[in-house]
This record gives sequence, structure tokens and C-alpha cells, in this order.
Amino acid sequence: MQFIILFAILVSTYLMVIAKRTPALIRSFRYQSFCLFLATLMIAFHDHELDLYVVAGLLFILKVVFIPQLLYRTIKRIKASQELGLFINPQLSLLWALGFTYLSWAFATSLVGRGDEARIIMLAGAFFVVLAGLFLMIFRMTALAQIIGLLVMENGIFLLASMVSGGMPFFVEIAIFFDVFVSVIIMGFFVYRINKFFTHIDVNKLSRLKG
Amino acid sequence: MPIFFILGVPLLLVIACLVIKSERFLGILNCVGYLVVLLMSAWLLKQIAFSGVTQTFLRFICLDILSAFFIFVIAVVVFAAALYSVGYLKKDLAQGVISEKKARTYYLLFNLFCTSMFFVPAVNNLGILWVAIEMTTLVSAFLVGFYNKKESVEAAWKYIIICSVGIIFALLGTILFSYAFSISGLSKSLNWSDMVPVAHILDKNILKIAFIFILVGYGTKAGLAPMHTWLPDAHSQAVAPISALLSGVLLKTALYAILRFGIIVIKGVGFSYFAHLMILFGVVSLVISTGFILVQKDLKRLLAYSSIEHIGIISIGFGLGTPLACAGALLHVFNHAVTKSLMFFGAGNIVSVYRKHNMHAIRGVLKVLPFTGLIMLLGLFALTGFPPCSIFISEMMIIVAAFTKGAYLIGAILLLFLAIIFGAFINHFEKMLFGNIPKGMLKSGEPLSGKLAFLFLSLLICLTGVLLLFIKGDWVWTVRKLFLS
Repeated sequence: MQFIILFAILVSTYLMVIAKRTPALIRSFRYQSFCLFLATLMIAFHDHELDLYVVAGLLFILKVVFIPQLLYRTIKRIKASQELGLFINPQLSLLWALGFTYLSWAFATSLVGRGDEARIIMLAGAFFVVLAGLFLMIFRMTALAQIIGLLVMENGIFLLASMVSGGMPFFVEIAIFFDVFVSVIIMGFFVYRINKFFTHIDVNKLSRLKG
Repeated sequence: MPIFFILGVPLLLVIACLVIKSERFLGILNCVGYLVVLLMSAWLLKQIAFSGVTQTFLRFICLDILSAFFIFVIAVVVFAAALYSVGYLKKDLAQGVISEKKARTYYLLFNLFCTSMFFVPAVNNLGILWVAIEMTTLVSAFLVGFYNKKESVEAAWKYIIICSVGIIFALLGTILFSYAFSISGLSKSLNWSDMVPVAHILDKNILKIAFIFILVGYGTKAGLAPMHTWLPDAHSQAVAPISALLSGVLLKTALYAILRFGIIVIKGVGFSYFAHLMILFGVVSLVISTGFILVQKDLKRLLAYSSIEHIGIISIGFGLGTPLACAGALLHVFNHAVTKSLMFFGAGNIVSVYRKHNMHAIRGVLKVLPFTGLIMLLGLFALTGFPPCSIFISEMMIIVAAFTKGAYLIGAILLLFLAIIFGAFINHFEKMLFGNIPKGMLKSGEPLSGKLAFLFLSLLICLTGVLLLFIKGDWVWTVRKLFLS
């Protein structure tokens, strides 16, 4: 069951890497967060821990409902082009993503050592999601794509924490959720500002400060 | 119990900003509040340094001499910035650059920023440490983009994005640390005080990889090259007192986080791994910043690159690792914080009179702003390491430590680049401070609160430099105990 969810997370991440327009990216992000929610719920059910149920609930409210909604609203309100502006086309991006998958597997093997296959696969999956997020941040040009890339990286780290080290202490988890919540709101605010001053959200063209 | 004042007073000031409407009164209240914090932190440092015990409260707060020292550094710079803000905002209000409502927002953000910075050295839990550092980024992003111009919004965006990515890596590193902790069969915890005693039984391989993530992550925030790209933009666009806070203490809080993890790694993996990485990043920062300092045209960016240089020197100091070098590096943290804030305050005064950042257009500061000009001249020599200013002492300690340890190459690199930077600074400032006044520029007055801030900082610069010459070597061993016991 764990592996099915992990597989679904991987698929949603690949979908994000090949997405060409912002709404598609947000939709895949929602799928990914939903899978993460299922995974946490499963662990909570398995360990009978009340804390984890709360964490799962917060995850659902924040990352499946609230943040995607906020991002959709931002797209509508700023009326900028919905194209993501790809530095690398979808086919090539997919190749990169496959490369990342192998890389994170190799990294996980070196970290854990052969033998503990289940743990290696979990670690590799989590590292891959982090790398994919980084890829989105670097090779997509709009400010919104950068926010989503950051959230994807954060999802990867959440996956790592919950599947590998049995989750972080409860109040740390809550603090990090609060932090993500605040940072998305603040970044959204700055997207509005950028759109207001530059009439676009193409961060590649933000080049007034140099040297 | 001074720690409750240190954490509580900024929080109370945040609430005061929501209630009180008069901007002028808020400014004065801020100064008084941070004076209390400064006195309390000095008391705390004295308490801990003399008794040598670690104070803990409910396992949430853990104070040893390292945290007490960083709290003291933060308190000094924050107090100076609060003093300087009063006059600076008054001038901005008079010139109509900002509205009264905006000035109140400024104080609110300022206090939030300081609150989150004071939490960083105080907390025990490494996860909460991460949250506190991320909070400093989020709050200060508004202060970087405060003037609402194209440039400042761009700088704020780059700042928030680059630092957030960096700090995500730091979170990854933190989780790997807790992974190492959990597979060694201990109960799950992220408390620093739980990790240190068992550091030697943690998995060495995982600790090494985790520390690289930590160093890259928090190193981004600390301004270590090559992850420094946000720093000159943010420092040059922020409000002047905030530039001083960013450069003087925000970078240091990230460095503090690196040191906290570094201590675990030193105990778990051995010293040389930590040392090699710190020296590598330190030298790269020193070299890269020198290049940019040589060709710089923008005053505030020049100071920002100089911060990268000093962070490089500090990490080389910690990397060398002899007691003398570590003591020198810690002192350098304090000296750089004080001197750089002084320089940023001065730059703020200059920019608000000349309305330009470009150093070629700024001439004759000594005639237009006599007091600021004089203080800047002192700050210039202090910053570039002239005796008997405090930075000279701490740089000397690090260089002497390098040579006595046998790291001749590192000592030579330090001397060479410090000399180049000295030349570049003198060259840039000589034309700016002396030279003829541009046409139509009149001698202008300076607010009292700004002058007080300048006097406070320059006194610290000169006094520390002179006092250190007479102090016995015992405290060097205190530092040794901190890192190597």
C-alpha cells in the first residue's frame, strides 16, 4: 500500500515536470499533496497516533484545499499569461526527471547501504521530489512556478520526514506548517507587487540589479 | 531570568505598535525597550560566562555561552538600529518619502524581525531554530521591499526565493540529523542538548551528508559565496537601519545555526571534516567578494560585498579551529556587527542627502555632512582592519592562529586579500569623503538620535580594540571548551 502511494506521488511529480501551463501545474500539485495526505493518514492509522491525525488534517486543509485555491485565484486576478515559459521543453524535462530518479536512487543506496530495500525506495522517492521541485524553480520562468517549485520541495521533505524518520516532533511539524502558510501568503503578495510594477511575472526579466 | 525579558520585550513592542498611533512615541518607546534588552543580555552573558553553567527552561530554551554571546551581539546592533531609526524615519517623513501609517508599519515589522532574531540563539530544538530563521527571512522581505520601487520589489523577491530554497536544504539537513539520531535506536528528538552527548554513536556517513546540506542551506542565509547572490541586492535596497541589521546580525544568526550543527559534527565525525568545509567556503567568499569590491560603483553594494568578505574571514577562523582562531572568529562576529552597522548608518545618511547610490556622484561628504563624514572615516579604517580598532585585533588573532598552526597558505591568502580590500576601500572612500561638493549641494543637519547611535557604536569599536590588548588569555580557553571538549 505504501508503495502504491509512493508511485502515485512519483506520477504526479512527473506530471508537474511536463506541465506547460500554470493551472496544470497547480492541479498536479494538488494530486501530490493529496497522496501525501493519504500516506500520513495511513501511518497515523497504523501507529494509532492522535498527533499524526492532526498533522494529516492540517496537511489536507492547507496543501490540498487552501494553497491551490489561493494560487488559482492569483492567476485569475493578475491576468498575466498562463504559460509557464519553459527553458527546457517537456520531453527534455521528462528525460531530466528520469535522470533525477536514478540519481536519487543512487544517493539513497549510498546513504543506507544495500539490503534495506524498502527504506531505500522511500528515501529515493523523497529525494526525487525535492530535486524535481528544485528543477521547477530553476527552469521555469514565472514567479508562480517558483512558488510551486518551493512547495514541491517542501512536500518532498515532508515525505522524507514522515516515511524515513517517523515524522518530526509534533510541535515542530505544526510550526513548519504555520511557516509554509505564511510564506505562501507573503510570496503571493510579492507576485501581485511584481505584476503591478513590471506588468508581467517573468522573473527571468527581473534584471535591474547587477554587479 | 533575563532571557524572559530578552524574548518578551520585543513581543510587547510588537503589541505596542498595534495599539499606539503616534509614530514619534513609538520610536522612543523602541529605544527604551531595546535598551532594557541590551542591559539584560549583558547581564545574561556575564551570568553564563562566569558561572559556566547552561541554563535550560522546560527543554525549550537552552542557553550556553555561545547563545548568550550571540544574543548580546544582536542586542547591541538592534539597540543602535532602534536609535538610528527615529531620526531616519523623521527625515523620510519630512521629505514625504513615506506616510505616517507606513512609518508605523515599519516599527511593527522591525519589532517582529527582532523578535524572530532573538529566538534563533535561544531555542534548543533544531526544528524550531529552522522556523525562527525562516521567519526572519519572511519578515525582513517586507523591509527590503519597503520603498515599493521596481528595484526594491525585485530585490525582495530574489531575497525571499533564494533564501527560502537555501533554507529548505537546511531543513533537509536537519531531518537527516534526526534520521541519524533515530536509526541509532534512540527515541525521536530534535533537541540539541539531547543530540550532543550521543554524537559519537551516530552514523558518520549520514552526519557528513547532512552537514553539507546544513552548510549549503544556512550558508545561503549567512552569505557564504557562491550562494551569496541575494545579499548585495537585499542590502542595497533595504531601509538603512534594516541594512545594518541584515548585515550585522541576520547573517550571524545563520552562522550560529551552522555552528550548532558543526559542534555535533565535530563530536561525531571529527574536526578535520568540519574544518575543511568551513575553510573552503571561507576562502571562496573572500576571493569572490574581493573581485566585486574592486570594481564596485554602488556605495551600499560595496558594503554588502564587504559583509561577504567578513563572513568568509569568520568561517576561516572557525575552520582553523585552534582556541585562538575560534576566539578571534567569535570576536570578529561582534566587531563586524558593530562596525558594519556604523557604516550602513553612515551610508544611509549619505544616500538620503545625495539621493544617489553611485559613488562617482557622491563627493565631499566631509563638507556636506561633517559628523557623518568623520564617523565614516573612522569606520572605514576600522572596517579595513587598522590598529587599534577592534577588527584589527580579531583579524590579527585569526592570522596569527593560522601561522602558528602551520596553515601558511591560508595565512598568506588572508593577508593578501585583506591588503587588496584595504586598497580598494581607501580608493573608493577617499574621493567620496574628500573632494569638492557637487553644485547646488548645501551643508545639511543631522538628527540627534542618529548621532547618538554613531557615538555608541564608535565607542564600542575603539574600546573593544583597546581593552582587548590588556585582557588575559583565560577566555580563549573558555572558547576552547565550547568547541572541543
